[in-house]
Order: sequence, then C-alpha cells, then structure tokens
Amino acid sequence: MYKFDYTDMAAGAFLIVVGLTATGIAVSQYPLGTFQRMGPGMFPAGLGVLLSFFGVILIIQGFTRQGMRPDIRIWSPLFVLGSVAAFALIVVPFGLIPAIIAIVVLSSLAELKIKVTSVAWLCVALCILAPGVFKFGLGLQLPLFRWPF
Amino acid sequence: MELLGNLGLGLGVALSLTNLLYCFLGALLGTLVGVIPGVGVLAAISMLFPLTYHLDPTTALIMLAGIWYGTTYGGSTASILLNIPGTPANAVTCLDGYPMARSGRGGVALFMTTVASFFGATFGIALLTLFTPIIAEYALRFGSAEYFALMLMGLVAASTISEGSAIKGLSMMTLGVILGLVGMDTQTSTVRYTFGVLGMLEGISLIALAMGVFGVAEIIMSVRRVKSTDIDPESVKLKAIKPTRDDVRRSWFPMLRGSSLGSFFGTLPGTGPSIAAFLSYAIEKRLSKTPERFGKGAIEGIMAPEAANNAADQTAFIPTLSLGVPGSATMALMLGALMIHGIAPGPTLISDEPELFWGLIMSFWVGNIILLVLNIPLIGVWVRMLTIPYHLLYPSVLLFICIGAYSASFSPLNVWMVFAFGALGYAMRIFRFPGAPLLLGFVLGPLMEEHFRRAMLLGRGDFMTFFDRPISATIMAITGLILLWSILSAESVKKRRQERARSA
Repeated sequence: MYKFDYTDMAAGAFLIVVGLTATGIAVSQYPLGTFQRMGPGMFPAGLGVLLSFFGVILIIQGFTRQGMRPDIRIWSPLFVLGSVAAFALIVVPFGLIPAIIAIVVLSSLAELKIKVTSVAWLCVALCILAPGVFKFGLGLQLPLFRWPF
Repeated sequence: MELLGNLGLGLGVALSLTNLLYCFLGALLGTLVGVIPGVGVLAAISMLFPLTYHLDPTTALIMLAGIWYGTTYGGSTASILLNIPGTPANAVTCLDGYPMARSGRGGVALFMTTVASFFGATFGIALLTLFTPIIAEYALRFGSAEYFALMLMGLVAASTISEGSAIKGLSMMTLGVILGLVGMDTQTSTVRYTFGVLGMLEGISLIALAMGVFGVAEIIMSVRRVKSTDIDPESVKLKAIKPTRDDVRRSWFPMLRGSSLGSFFGTLPGTGPSIAAFLSYAIEKRLSKTPERFGKGAIEGIMAPEAANNAADQTAFIPTLSLGVPGSATMALMLGALMIHGIAPGPTLISDEPELFWGLIMSFWVGNIILLVLNIPLIGVWVRMLTIPYHLLYPSVLLFICIGAYSASFSPLNVWMVFAFGALGYAMRIFRFPGAPLLLGFVLGPLMEEHFRRAMLLGRGDFMTFFDRPISATIMAITGLILLWSILSAESVKKRRQERARSA
C-alpha cells in the first residue's frame, strides 16, 4: 500500500504530457481558423487541453486516496510484444513461413518453460494452417519464402 | 405491407449461399470464442475483421454480427457446465446453471438456456425491425448540432457508466478522438499527427488499434494465468435434456421479463448485455415467492439473464443502424466495417442500402436458428474445446492477429501499430484504464469533428447553437445529467469506502 495513489498520478502526468503535446503541435503547425470557420487545428487543440484537464483531476484525486502497488510483469509483455515485432521485421524480407516460426517460438517463451516438442508441433501445424487459410483459402498475396540478398 | 416486402427482401439476401455460409462461420466462431475463456468477443471480431476487406459489406457485417451474438450462446455453455463464465454477460448464469449441472440437470439447463437465448434474441430482433426505421426517419430531421450532441452523449454515457473511474473513461474517450484525427483532414486536406510517416496519411488502422488494445493486451495479461480446465465427466454427461412441466411453467415469465429488460438496456450506450443479465437476475430473485431456491439451481435464475443478454445483443444494433451512433466497442467495430466500404452510417442507411439493412436483420434470425441447431447436439465438442491448453492457443491467436493486420494493407506498418497499441493496451490494464471508450472515441472522432465544425459554421461561431435548438439542447441536458450523476455516485462510493475503513 502506498500513502497516495501513485499509479493514478503517474497516469495523470502521462495524460497531461500527451494532451499538451497534441495541443502544442495543433497550435504551432495547423491553422486554427475562427470559431465560425474552424481550421484543422482548432478541434485537436481543444481536445489536448481537455485531456490535460482530465490528467490534472486524476493527479488531484491521487492525493486524496491510498494506492495499491501495480502488478507489472516484465517477461510476458517483452516476449509477446517482441514476437509481434519479429513478425513485422521478418514477413516482408523473408516471407510468411519464417515469420510464423519466429512469432510462435518467441511468444511461447512467455510461458517461461520451454516445451520443445509442443512448440515444434505448433509451428508445423500453423505453417500448414495459416497459409492454407490466408493464401490458398482467401487468395491473399503472401509469399511463403523470400530471400532479400 | 411495406414491412413484409422489406422482410422478404432481407430474407432473400440472408439466405443467399455466400451469406448463409459466412453467417454460419460467424456463429460457429462466436460459439467457440464464447466457450473458451481468455479470448474475448472484441479480440475475436478484430481477428476476423481483416477478412471484411475482401467481402461484400453485407456479408462482412453478417459474419461479424454472428460472432457477436454467437459468443453469448457459447458463454452460457461454459457457465453451466464448468462454472466459468465464457463472457461477462454470462457470469450470472453460473449462479444457478452450475448447481443444476452438479445435480445432474446440466442437459436441461443447456436446453432451456438455448431456448431462452432464442426467445430473447427473437424479441430483440422484433423490436429492432419495428423501431429502427421509425427512429431513422425521425433522425432525418437532425442537423449537425443534434448529431454532435448525440455522439457526445453516447461517448460520455459509455465512458462513465461502464466499470471503473469516470475520469479514466472520459480521458480514454478523449485520447481515442485524438487518435481518430490522425491522418488527412477531410475538409482541408491538412495532414495531422503523422510525424512524417507516409502510411499514416489514411489514419491509424482501426483493426490494429482494436487488435492491439484488446487482443494482444489480453494475451499479455492471461499468459501463465489461464489454466486449462479439467472437466468433471459427471457434469458433462447429459442424462436428459427434456425439461419437466414445472420447468416450463416457471420459465415463461422470467423469459418475458428478461427479454424486455434486456431489450431496453441493449439500446442504451454504456450498459449492454452484462448489466441487463445482472439486473434481470436480481429482479427475478426479488419477485420470486421462493427466493431461497436461487443459487441452488432455480431455473428462473438462468432463463431471465440468458433471455436478457441475447435480447440486448440484438437491440444494441438499434442506435448503431438508425443513428450511426454505436453504444459499445463492438458496435463501433461494426460501424468501422461499414465505413471501410465507404458506407456512411446514419439515418439514411436504411433507405440507401435496404438490402444491407434488411439482409442483416434477417440474418440475425437465420443465425439464431443456426445457433439453436449448433448448440444442442454439439455440446460435447464445445466442452472439449475448453481443454485446449492456453500455451497452444495464444501463439496461434497472435499469429492470426499479425497476419490479419499485415494483409489489411500488405505493409508491416500495420503490424507495428499492433505492437504499439498492444503496449498501450497493457499499460492501460496496469493503470486500470478502460479500453472500450478509446475505441468508441476513435471511431466517432472524425465524424464528431465534422459535425462540430459544420454546426459552428451554421451557428455563426456561437457555442449556444448546441443549446438553442430544442432536440440538441435536450440531448445536451441528458449528457449533463449523466456527468453529474457519475460525479455524485463516485462521491458516495468514496464516502462508503471511508466509513468502512473507519469502522474496520
């Protein structure tokens, strides 16, 4: 238990930063126009201010109550998001099959115990199923293998 | 007579071979997703969303809708047999459904809830058929001020009524609207917030946002937490599915009350099937002459909520299709599917696209009949789905999410957006921010800006234009009341918490 709700305060600070950035960009780069003839900057500038206002309220509320320690996990987001990033990096230069293997192996590591045979079987099954559905079933243009060099 | 003609037209569309096939596919997938805990409706819909690029808009919507109401059917199966709610809307069905299964009446419970679901859905569809065209015709008179006010009310209600802090809901809605503005401004062609990335000219991809915030974040939260279930073979064995005469007699009124309550809450933004199911259970318990039977396998306790959540599933389409204002994140995705095909949602939808509207409505009926047929004989298959270990399930779901995002535009940029929104979604879970207002704001954002600018132009730059026009003023007043109510109820919760802390 914390004396104040620090998680909400941190979130409030984040909202203020995002809101002010949005307003700053809108005011400095997009024409604001008048209330009657609004330019592309007016609406987002207002929204940014609104978002920062909510951030301020959240911080004030955080001072009025106690907070819980947030339950943050490190490995699950790292491996799951990492596997998505790997897919994004691999699918164009190397093709679908290497991307499938990368995403399955990397995301399976999030379990923190590696069962080699079950991961291998899953790879094989998905390498047959996914191209079957998307490439041959739906006729999408997805090269299975590629070599960029 | 006109109505009959329209229904005939719709039935023709719904019964075409392609539409029938995708309706079946949607219902089947919905049931699957409903049965398996750890994969939500939104994740399922966003996973299949990329398919809609390649389909006719009517077919696409029929399939997505099938997933939506299919999960509610499937969810009740998991609730009754395993005491695990497949979806939040089925949570209350566990209370009396599981005791029924334990005492060997699982078959009866499954059969009767399927009947209740069908009854509730039919009730909802009937209201949908009758009221959507009337509301749409009335809404044709709305100007931009009214539209802006309506969308604002929908967003505010959805952000404050749903679970958690109202401020957090409102801030996510605002962030969603800002994200919705990314890309080229339709009125002046000014490029906003793209940070020089060429692929962002068309804006942030709805699919990437939905799949990241709901799909990927859900997986991160569930890894190493969802245990695959061992099933007690006794509870699955279906000795008899035939209800006794007493069961049938007790079911009529709960089913009717559940359907009416569900239909009402389905149309309101921010409430939806879960709240409808909980309230109808509470009402049945209060009305019952023998409330002590509840929680021990009272049939009223499963009939009312299952009728209510299915009715709400259907009536949620009323504001979405008549006004173009979705009340929940799922409905926002449905609208997104329309907008991708260049169909403007709003009151002119029914007259502009009669085949789409009536075809969709009739497909609900067809889909519910398909579900009726799917559910009863295949119960054994659904239950076995529950034993699929999560460590095989989630890499497959991730893969399908990535392929879906990639194939939407054949560019890795969309996959990177899934990555970014997955990270944002996980942060939102940690800091306890709701995801639904973000998605709703995102879909409605560009429309809101357009109407706001037009209303201000017509109102000569005076903000009073939203309060001078009677309809707009009424809607604004309701929005104000919702905000006031959410502040007051937050205060009373705080006071109660302090009192409890003091007495403890």
